[in-house]
Amino acid sequence: MSRNDGKKDSSASTFRKIDVDQYSDNNFREEDADGGIGGPTGPDENEILTLLSQYPFYRFYTDIITLQSAPLGCKNQQVKDNARNLTLKVLLSIKSTQIDDCLAQLDRDLLDVLMKYIYRGFEIPTEGSSSHLLTWHEKVYNISGVGSIVRAFADSKRA
Amino acid sequence: MSGTLKPYLAAVRRTLTAAMCLENFSSQIVEKHNKPEVEVRASKELLLTPILISRNDKEKVLIESSINSMRISIAVKQADDLEKLLCHNFTRFMTMRAEHFIILRRKPIEGYDISFLITNIHVEQMYKHKIVDFVIYFMEEIDREISEMKLSMNARARICAEEFLKRF
Repeated sequence: MSRNDGKKDSSASTFRKIDVDQYSDNNFREEDADGGIGGPTGPDENEILTLLSQYPFYRFYTDIITLQSAPLGCKNQQVKDNARNLTLKVLLSIKSTQIDDCLAQLDRDLLDVLMKYIYRGFEIPTEGSSSHLLTWHEKVYNISGVGSIVRAFADSKRA
Repeated sequence: MSGTLKPYLAAVRRTLTAAMCLENFSSQIVEKHNKPEVEVRASKELLLTPILISRNDKEKVLIESSINSMRISIAVKQADDLEKLLCHNFTRFMTMRAEHFIILRRKPIEGYDISFLITNIHVEQMYKHKIVDFVIYFMEEIDREISEMKLSMNARARICAEEFLKRF
């Protein structure tokens, strides 16, 4: 029995017109679309800031909200930087004595996200920010160990 | 200020331990070549996220890792011109003898004072935790060394000035 029994598959020649070169490895270009509409836009800045000012005692809840809506997969650097600045603001507003309470609220995945943002925060050192972030780093390390550092290194979804 | 030195070094130590997972990896582009991927930067998928740890805006460590090699760049605290000069001469002395230090990179990354390049071969030939210890020890020592050199240089300058001004 023939593979093309009577069907016109054999005569179809449109596939010959496909430009196969466009699928070559050398032409592969990663999409750098700006995430734009529908892409993750990161935490809502106004919401977080009002929460911070209204409930200074429950700061760590704002932390959770910020981390949950972190735009990790986003390709737009601007969105990421905004999220980084906002997360840094929240992290620095939490006092060293409250860090433990705050970390107790976070699950493993959010701790990894937090670790990424701690490392991002080191990139823009301001007065006293680095020493505070070092405290954060130590506390997160005590909970999740080397694993979250490795994930901060190796994850393609960068903070 | 010295209160942050310990957590800073601890954070660097942990990050280095995590980053130092290197394995043998041949070049994807040239047959029978084996190059440190962090230097050639030929393919994006082999490079990991570069991580920066800062103590303040002057002192920082950049850790770039890849599948078979990692690069550690250190920026040393330089408060004034004298410290800058001492640091420059000190690192120059080291980098000129880079082959004796094995993991030292001959040229620091731009913006940093000294760089180390660790490949999978180093990790195989030496103990991993000892390499981490060495880098941390180096970071401790270079600060101390420079401030000591600064003190002795000032003392020497004072004696010279005294001798010189005796004539007048």
